[in-house]
Amino acid sequence: MSGYKETALNESFFRPGSSLCPGCMESIALNNIGRVSDNGVKTIFALGTSCAEVSSLAFPNVVAWGRGEATSPDVRKSFGIIHNVFESAPTVAEAARDVADVLTRAGALDFPVQVLSTSGDGGALAIGLRSLIHTTYRRTRALVTVLVNEVFANTGFQYSPAAMPFAETSTTPVGKAAPGNLNPPLDYLHLAIAAGADMVAQVSPAHGKLFLKTVERGLAAQGTAVLFVPSPCISGWKFDDGQTVSLALLGARAGVFPVFTWERGKGGQVKDCERDAAARPPIEEFLGAQRRFHHLVERDAASGTFRARPGREGEIEQLRGWVQRNVERLYALAELK
Amino acid sequence: MNQGPDRSAVLTPLTTLSGDRFDGALDLERVRDAHPHWKTEREILTADGNTAAAYATLQMWRCVIFPGFPITPSTKWIETVAARVAQEPGIRRVKLLEAEHAVADYLVGAAASCRDLIFPTATSSVGLDHMTETTRSLGASGLGNVMIIDVYRATANFPLCIEGDPSDTLAHRDDGFIQIVARGAQQIYDTVIQSPCLGMQPDILTPTMPGYYGIKDSHRSARLVLEPDRDIHEFQDAWIRPCPLPGLINGDTAFGNCVTSRHFQGFKLAQKRRFERVLEVLPRIGADFERRFGRPGLSYFENVGWPADGRVDLAVVGMGPDFGTFEAIRAEEEARAGLHLAGTAIRLLSPFPREALRRRLEGARAVLVVNQAHHGGRGHLTLDVIDALSDLPKPPRVVSAFAGLGGANVSEETWRAMIDAARPVIEGREVPAWQLFHEGVRL
Repeated sequence: MSGYKETALNESFFRPGSSLCPGCMESIALNNIGRVSDNGVKTIFALGTSCAEVSSLAFPNVVAWGRGEATSPDVRKSFGIIHNVFESAPTVAEAARDVADVLTRAGALDFPVQVLSTSGDGGALAIGLRSLIHTTYRRTRALVTVLVNEVFANTGFQYSPAAMPFAETSTTPVGKAAPGNLNPPLDYLHLAIAAGADMVAQVSPAHGKLFLKTVERGLAAQGTAVLFVPSPCISGWKFDDGQTVSLALLGARAGVFPVFTWERGKGGQVKDCERDAAARPPIEEFLGAQRRFHHLVERDAASGTFRARPGREGEIEQLRGWVQRNVERLYALAELK
Repeated sequence: MNQGPDRSAVLTPLTTLSGDRFDGALDLERVRDAHPHWKTEREILTADGNTAAAYATLQMWRCVIFPGFPITPSTKWIETVAARVAQEPGIRRVKLLEAEHAVADYLVGAAASCRDLIFPTATSSVGLDHMTETTRSLGASGLGNVMIIDVYRATANFPLCIEGDPSDTLAHRDDGFIQIVARGAQQIYDTVIQSPCLGMQPDILTPTMPGYYGIKDSHRSARLVLEPDRDIHEFQDAWIRPCPLPGLINGDTAFGNCVTSRHFQGFKLAQKRRFERVLEVLPRIGADFERRFGRPGLSYFENVGWPADGRVDLAVVGMGPDFGTFEAIRAEEEARAGLHLAGTAIRLLSPFPREALRRRLEGARAVLVVNQAHHGGRGHLTLDVIDALSDLPKPPRVVSAFAGLGGANVSEETWRAMIDAARPVIEGREVPAWQLFHEGVRL
């Protein structure tokens, strides 16, 4: 495995020039995935319709993709990226994998190819769940990444099946008759394990070294590696500048999206998130940092901490319960081999 | 003053700014060498349409992955392919996806990965509809190495119908695929062999959709001449050269970019121009096929009973196997009806060969167009024929008929009824905008 410092000096396939929101976790994630994949192996990348795609894969000025300032003369260092329709990135990646494999078996291709895909949670867990599950079920040798910002951000922050309970989105607005989203999020980690993935992980670049190591392990997996990247969305979650990484850390530690790594045959771990609620940061702290939960919490003038707004104590209790069940479930999943 | 981007770059986006191609990165001769030659001599057998289409794809060395999802009446294509591949130790494989949409997405990834291999599948009706989100992208993608065989089936679930009318393919006229109609097992086999030669031309680069009627052709057996694999390879290799554009594996490139409206317009204009090139190239491929194999190759349409001077009382325009019934009774009907009768069966559906059809029909006093799919107006084919004739100073009158909807049999009686219904127009009288026929009767 590469060292952290060495990887930081690698050439990423995600380059400056995208129009992603300043502070977007997706750009941090793609930059880092790009660096890890600069390992001397030809890279093919399938990108689902998402913020990442519309903000970067422009024509004719594809400013944000490509390894290095100019194409390397070595095909092994070259980079191919493809965007097809919204939900299709895992399937498209699977096809690239299969073609590379069949060409290799024929002796027509004599260098290795690594295949990755990226979708948002809208593309992978809603309209694209079929693609994600079946590509995984067929044990496609690829790293499938899902950038989870809990909304369909690209089209204006609509509800996604990964949305937290009571989150305000443009299609689950808060009003007199509704407190935001009423659905718990889809248990996507469990689904990926059940579908047959070789590796499943939930980790963001806020846990820098672990993120890089996880991407590296994913690229080396013999089956499908599915990496969910909690991606605080500055525009959709509405938090202050400069808070992306700290919010990602807080969300993991508070139990909203704990760090989770799992490999088939070996089991897994929950990291940096205590099982005991008393040992975790209070959920109110996570909610208070984002205006999408503005209806639930307010800052206590005396203590400076966040507390439930009057009349919202019930929702906060429900969220606490949900978080605890979420943490317990991940600890239980870690026991699966 | 801002001049904007170079106009040529806007208008030819597939050939500019596509990235870099690494010559020699792939040794496709190895793939050719790995092909398990199946027929070493010409063979004559009996087969249905689905089997014929399957055999054609199995015999192409460039077909190494066969993605599919079953749907009536196309299912036997993937079953036949799977049965054959199961007998071969080798590199080829069948890829069973979970839905037709997945098949279409898979075709995108595969075709983009290696632009010199051919990736075929077969589907029908709502299966094709389920692919639509992606087929509309494929139509403009430049991936001429995708071939979706459409086994025509009525597109309707209220009520459900599994039988063959061409409403599915007609609903997909504007997906951007080159659509070619075939009838009879031999023509189906021949069309599948020739289609990629057309789609993969460097100045066309458009996916193809050869098609045939479900049940009436997919499940009906007829005499089929299978050519030796090496002869098919020689024919295709003469037309299919290495793609000049990079693929994902042999290139440093991007597919499926997000474009602003001006560039999108450039893409669409380029797509339309590439599409129009089909009209010039298709007859050449067909002529070469006929030279090599001694059977008619691709053509815009087939003609029956046309005199040398092109003058007839009534020209019949249709498509598919039911046209064969008209063919069989044409001479007898001429005598019965006292009319000079000729027929034209459409083969190239998209792009529609309007100018050639105009030249074909201009000597007719009237034209009877037989539509076999639901349409909100006078019929898909009718509108195309009327458009084709519109440039004539005195175009023949068009009589529009609907028959065979939902795969209904277009019997000899039905043909007689339609011919009789066209007579008033020849005599200078009016007829309704369209007429519906079923089981020998005008409804």
